[in-house]
Amino acid sequence: MLETVAQAVINGLLIGGIYALVSIGVTLIFGVVKIVNFAQGEFVMIGMYISYFLATYFGIDPIVSLLVSMPVLFVTGVLIQHVLIRRVLGPNDMPQIFLTFALSLLLLNLALLLFSANYRTVHTSYSDEAFHFGGLYVPEAKLIAFVVAMALSGALWAFLRTTDLGKAMRAAAQNRDVATLMGINPNRVFAVAFGAALALAGAAGSLLMPFYSAYPFVGQVFVLMAFVAVVLGTLGNVLGALVASLMMGVAESLGIQFVGADSGLIVVFAMLLLTLAFRPQGLGGGRMR
Amino acid sequence: MADVGKRKWLALAAAALVALALPQMVKSSFALDIFIRILLFSFIGAAWNLMGGYAKQLSLGHAAYFGLGAYTSTIMQIDFGISPWIGMVAGGIVAALASLPIGWLCFRLRGPYFTIATIATAQALMLIFLKFRDFAWGAEGTTIPNLGSAPLMLQFETKASYYYVVLGLLALALLITWRIERSWMGYYLVAIGEDEDAAEAIGVNAPRIKRDIYMISAFLTALAGTFYVQYIYFIDPATAFSFNISIEAALVSIVGGIGTLWGPVIGTVVLETTSTLLQSWLGSSTGGIQLTVYSLILMAIILWRPTGLMGLFNELWQRRLDRKPARMRTSS
Repeated sequence: MLETVAQAVINGLLIGGIYALVSIGVTLIFGVVKIVNFAQGEFVMIGMYISYFLATYFGIDPIVSLLVSMPVLFVTGVLIQHVLIRRVLGPNDMPQIFLTFALSLLLLNLALLLFSANYRTVHTSYSDEAFHFGGLYVPEAKLIAFVVAMALSGALWAFLRTTDLGKAMRAAAQNRDVATLMGINPNRVFAVAFGAALALAGAAGSLLMPFYSAYPFVGQVFVLMAFVAVVLGTLGNVLGALVASLMMGVAESLGIQFVGADSGLIVVFAMLLLTLAFRPQGLGGGRMR
Repeated sequence: MADVGKRKWLALAAAALVALALPQMVKSSFALDIFIRILLFSFIGAAWNLMGGYAKQLSLGHAAYFGLGAYTSTIMQIDFGISPWIGMVAGGIVAALASLPIGWLCFRLRGPYFTIATIATAQALMLIFLKFRDFAWGAEGTTIPNLGSAPLMLQFETKASYYYVVLGLLALALLITWRIERSWMGYYLVAIGEDEDAAEAIGVNAPRIKRDIYMISAFLTALAGTFYVQYIYFIDPATAFSFNISIEAALVSIVGGIGTLWGPVIGTVVLETTSTLLQSWLGSSTGGIQLTVYSLILMAIILWRPTGLMGLFNELWQRRLDRKPARMRTSS
């Protein structure tokens, strides 16, 4: 019994690392640019397809193809911010919500047209390997994904804390007008934030590829988790999103283990509804910690 | 001014006449099917528009009420033999009541996070109906018994009859919208949509107004759910709570013109016509093409014409009015 619980917690934490990459991206964009990117999941999907094609046609390991998917998505993010998002920033919610929502629909359906609805997998030498600790086992591919995800989250944290650009980003998140008066170029900060968020989504995609199938709708799974984690971890709070994502991974995994295979999502929605009912401001405090 | 008013009524009467006469002139069941779809989604769009358009509470979870309406009437019909006409109203009431707790939760968030919360509640309801097979047939769903010609059971042999039913529903929604637009509630809604804090500061009871309009919107959306499953003789959670319903409700309103009486109708006509033309050109085999084109239209509207097609028409009309006196001056 205890072992089953421990195993479920391990599984949850490992997948929670991936959720964290997606939700940190969502919360970073929300904190800095003040919009919700409904298309964040689709960029995970694009990251997966990049890694899939690099692995299939050039034999590049999905983890290594992180070095391609992250820069590609960073540039994509900067361009999207510059060409599309910049035009709808304003007090009105409608254009912002439905522009990124339309982008999500567009990317998802383009993927459906180009790649069909087929599930695509990459088999690596470590896909079936696992470390054993007593009765517990830790799949190698998931462990690598978790470790890299945590390293990337840490790198973003350090970037926000120590670099000038990162500090400028946090300043813009706290008060855009004052930050502009202090000589911070908001467009540049927004573009970098959007790019960084998409790069994290791309990384999540590449890290998933050794143990997860790519298909056009795959992003929806992760973006739903990310939205809940971002509410749970307080909007715009990077650390909150990270902790909440790990919690959600564990909750989902325990739900699957003890309630039934298809109940993971129900647990997640229950968490969202409970959060809204009792602590709508989320578990974290403040913003952009 | 009086002349413009009279012309508007004449145009409305002409449109109503065409709408009423259409099934008498067009007998092709393919064409009628498209007209029914257009009327149905105009109706759903109009229901969404009351809350999403006027009060700018941008829900992407109206499938919740569509599904509750569909399931309520179907369960009442199959398990208790109650006519779906009664079931339709009952479904509306169930949906309106369900909107109270859902609204209580979702309205705690504003803007985009309200939107996400509505998506989550609709998905959660779908999961519930997928899981509990005892009272709602689980994932397989069920076919609705075909009774042939049974107008009292909301079943007809001709598509024309379905057409008139959904035309009546649309007329009801437009009438309600028209009345609300011209009432205090309409002004309150627009004030909340413009700036909720400012509206509250001048004494608008925003939580109550939002709750009331959500109930009306949910009630109407549920009617569409009953109609739809009676029309296709089938129900399952994936159909009744389909995310596409939520998307299309918002989409037709935004493309047509958010917060306008005729916006959802115009938006639906444009989008459904586009999708029909696409299907006849490309065949129905290419999955994804319809939503690809929809999303491109949506992006174009948001970037270049956020007031939708209604805004575009009004602008063109205004330009024509402005130009007229100028032309008269030059000719004289």
